[in-house]
Amino acid sequence: MRRDSASLDKLLENPRLWRGRSPAPGMAGLASGYEVLDKHLPGGGWPRHALTEILVERYGIGELRLLMPALARLSVEENGADFAEPGWIAWVAPPLQPYPPALQQWGIDLARILIVRPKSDDETLWSAEQALASGTCAAVLLWPEVLDDQASRRLQLAAEKGGSWAIAFRPLTARREASAAALRIELQPSPTGMRLSILKSRGGRPAVLHDVL
Amino acid sequence: MATARHHRSGEGLLSQRSLPLTELKTPPKSRTAVLSRRLWFCVYLPDLPLEASGFAAQARAVVEEQQGIHRVLLACPEALAAGIMPGQSANAALALLPTVRIEERSHLREQQALEALATWLEQFTSVVCIAGPDVLLLEIAGSLRLYGGLLSLRQQLAAGLRQQGFGASLAIAPTPLAATWLARAGRRACIRDSANMVSALRSLPLACLGWPAATCAALTGMGVASVGDCLRLPREGFARRFGVQRLIELDRALGRLPDPRTAWRAPERFCVDYEMTEEQSDREILLAICHELLFSLERFLLTRQLGTQRLLFSFFHLRGPATQLVLGCAGAERLAGHWFDLLKLRFERVTLPEPVIAVRLYGGRNQALHAESRRLAFHGKASGQRLRYSMSQLAERLAARVGNPSVQGVTTVAEHRPQRAWCLQSLLGEKAGTKLATIRHSLKRPLWILPEPALLPLEQAYPVHQGRLTLLEGPERLETGWWDEDGIARDYYTAVNPYGMRLWVYQNRNRTAAWYLHGFFG
Repeated sequence: MRRDSASLDKLLENPRLWRGRSPAPGMAGLASGYEVLDKHLPGGGWPRHALTEILVERYGIGELRLLMPALARLSVEENGADFAEPGWIAWVAPPLQPYPPALQQWGIDLARILIVRPKSDDETLWSAEQALASGTCAAVLLWPEVLDDQASRRLQLAAEKGGSWAIAFRPLTARREASAAALRIELQPSPTGMRLSILKSRGGRPAVLHDVL
Repeated sequence: MATARHHRSGEGLLSQRSLPLTELKTPPKSRTAVLSRRLWFCVYLPDLPLEASGFAAQARAVVEEQQGIHRVLLACPEALAAGIMPGQSANAALALLPTVRIEERSHLREQQALEALATWLEQFTSVVCIAGPDVLLLEIAGSLRLYGGLLSLRQQLAAGLRQQGFGASLAIAPTPLAATWLARAGRRACIRDSANMVSALRSLPLACLGWPAATCAALTGMGVASVGDCLRLPREGFARRFGVQRLIELDRALGRLPDPRTAWRAPERFCVDYEMTEEQSDREILLAICHELLFSLERFLLTRQLGTQRLLFSFFHLRGPATQLVLGCAGAERLAGHWFDLLKLRFERVTLPEPVIAVRLYGGRNQALHAESRRLAFHGKASGQRLRYSMSQLAERLAARVGNPSVQGVTTVAEHRPQRAWCLQSLLGEKAGTKLATIRHSLKRPLWILPEPALLPLEQAYPVHQGRLTLLEGPERLETGWWDEDGIARDYYTAVNPYGMRLWVYQNRNRTAAWYLHGFFG
């Protein structure tokens, strides 16, 4: 009898088993800092060690503010078994210049910021993959021009391998393309705040949230 | 020229000192206590002029100008078999064997070959001396244990010399001069005990002492033909006739007088050329050559316990300037494999305008290697497995592929002007004292900043960016920088447009009162 329950537990631990709204155990999320969002994400936060896609029509509507509390925690948190010291945050091909004083205001350690500006999309993906798989980056933000299914799968694998959080920013037109990302969310500006739609969430379910920020 | 510094054997090494009068009459007491701790290994290279002139498949002879005539100095066995003999004129040699390649003797090349050999020999001992144009001396007493005894060390040395194409005559003796003389005489001698020295040296002919021809001729005329004969002569008379120097040399060879030598030091910068016999454009072959150069760099750095952060590869073409390739590394590094990984990433995107005739590797400033401490994995989940490479290695890899200026860190500067409040910081190279400084800002700063503020058009006196802007917060007045002609006087606001984009805008505090967009809150 006891053996049966043990094997059932083992089965339930398998992340591929989808059980309604209950989060898969062993997949504790990274608290986003926004309670409404955390409630709708499996594990109560951003999926660590996986690829998150953020679809946004134009940059500047709050896509970075959404990530800042989580990134700030990553940049100071000593991640115990994974990193001997806080991991780095890599920015690959950002469309504009990230402003260091603002990052500092959000509580991010500037000494652990790495900015890479590749000359081509191919190099962007290569750099992101290297950074993810290196095991030294806690998070990798990237702005690819094109991210096909195969590329997203590679990034997802690299994120799992290196224990890193990958965040890819993509235009709204990418919504119909297939993707291996663990989480896909779409941001729409609205006069009162921001509308956030969870398009795909491994272990969770789609939702539409208003006024997250 | 470098050879000018080295005179024929030993002469330049002898100081101008003279013997005390008492020592002129009776030989000074042997310093056996000191000698027993020293052992000199002499490498004599009689065929150096020929060996330094390069390697070719055809018969060769090296000629030197003597009294206006080019005479054969040395010839390879093939040329000797054809009847070419040292001392013949170059024309005679060509008549005997029309295919023979005649090379002019080059002291510079000989010196370079000798220095390269001395560098290689530095792996066996820290005391390597260049004791003449064709003599190298090694003090090996301290290395015997490490290299497994005298026999094994001698074998390793001989094998290495043979592999590099040098035919050397080797001898071992407790004093440098004795070792040199024995090697010149071609005796495969190995004397460890200074008590056996006199008997070993006694039979050596005068020719191997490297004394001036006139001295040797005078001695031969007297019926003195060997070192033993010299030793039998009365000391005082010998010194008066042939000079005190000769007597000092004899005493030094026998260990009766100290013979201090200065060790040769290899240059501190690594610079090695690889010349090819014909032009090469096969990239695989060029990479293999670079790999070989990197290995010699590694050996060079290993003997010094150093590393370097920069390397410069030059690919020379027959026409046109050389193609340069610079490699950078985040920390001092010497492993050839590590550099080769970086090189491969860069080399695939280097365009070579022409085939390559030579490759040069020039090492950057050498630095002490910093050992890195690794954290031991105390818990079951081994962190070593996941931490594949360090941050500096990641930065190097990215810089090698993407380009050095494209991989940056950032830091803030204590400055109120927004465009000057930060700067880029290189991740490679030593970290300059980080300029982290915090200034309390009354308002939030935007996450994205524009490189140059953009002028905003006005619509009924309101600034517009994809729709009319509404000011949310502000103003924050920044009026500073008057001292360096880049002064600003601005009122900064947080604004929002109909799309919900949050913007950082400012109005100039001058007559035009123009509005500018400076950043996005992202």
